[in-house]
Amino acid sequence: MFAVFALITLLGAVLMLLQKNVIQAGLCLALSFLGVAGLFVLLGNPVAGALQVIVYAGAILILVLFVIMLLNHHEEEPAERARPLQRWASVVLSALLGAGALALVLASPGLQALGAAGTPVEPMTLERVGTVLFRDHLLAVETVGLLLLAAMVGAVALVKKEL
Amino acid sequence: MAHLLSGGLQGYVAVALLLFVIGLATVLLRRTLLMQFMGMELMLNAANVALLAFARWRGGDVQGTVTYLMIIAVAACEAAVGLALVIGLHRMRGTTDADRTASLKQ
Repeated sequence: MFAVFALITLLGAVLMLLQKNVIQAGLCLALSFLGVAGLFVLLGNPVAGALQVIVYAGAILILVLFVIMLLNHHEEEPAERARPLQRWASVVLSALLGAGALALVLASPGLQALGAAGTPVEPMTLERVGTVLFRDHLLAVETVGLLLLAAMVGAVALVKKEL
Repeated sequence: MAHLLSGGLQGYVAVALLLFVIGLATVLLRRTLLMQFMGMELMLNAANVALLAFARWRGGDVQGTVTYLMIIAVAACEAAVGLALVIGLHRMRGTTDADRTASLKQ
């Protein structure tokens, strides 16, 4: 099951990178987010999986698609000037970063020990998350609420033609 | 290779790393601001995958899920403000190309 969801996630991400049409790229990103939600469920964390579907695949992605349709720019504009050196440098450096990090992960004895020590865990419940959230992190919850309000007011102020 | 595909900790961390690199490549290679924005969302998601994988192998730690909640709240804020900036920029310049909008001044 892990291989299937990992494949869905990575395939959606690669298709998004290669897609010319911005709306189709957004839909590929939705595929990738749903694959990540599947990975969360496999990790014994259905709470995070549900939140991933609701917030990322639901709210954030729909907002992005709305803005794409609002701007009516579905194709990437032709480049102002070609920058072949920068493009090749970014491809090579990204590939190097990916290969190097992957090699480190595969060779790391600490990760192997931690992975081998893994015991079966009971699935995460909303009750456990809520208890810890409101007992130990009450200040953080209130701060995040304030931050969301500030972002909402900021977004309205930025988009409004004249205040 | 077999232990990578069977869903161990290393498999999850490898998927998170590859997701991060694809998101980084999107930000570096695509010029449309909205595409770059989607690449950033992908990088945030890669961090979430790694976070929750480590939380599961630390005995199903609840703190991982709590941190994940905070991260998606910040991601939602970032989405709202970032998209508002893109709309404002498109109104002012008529373009969403990152090369053509290198400066925010009018």
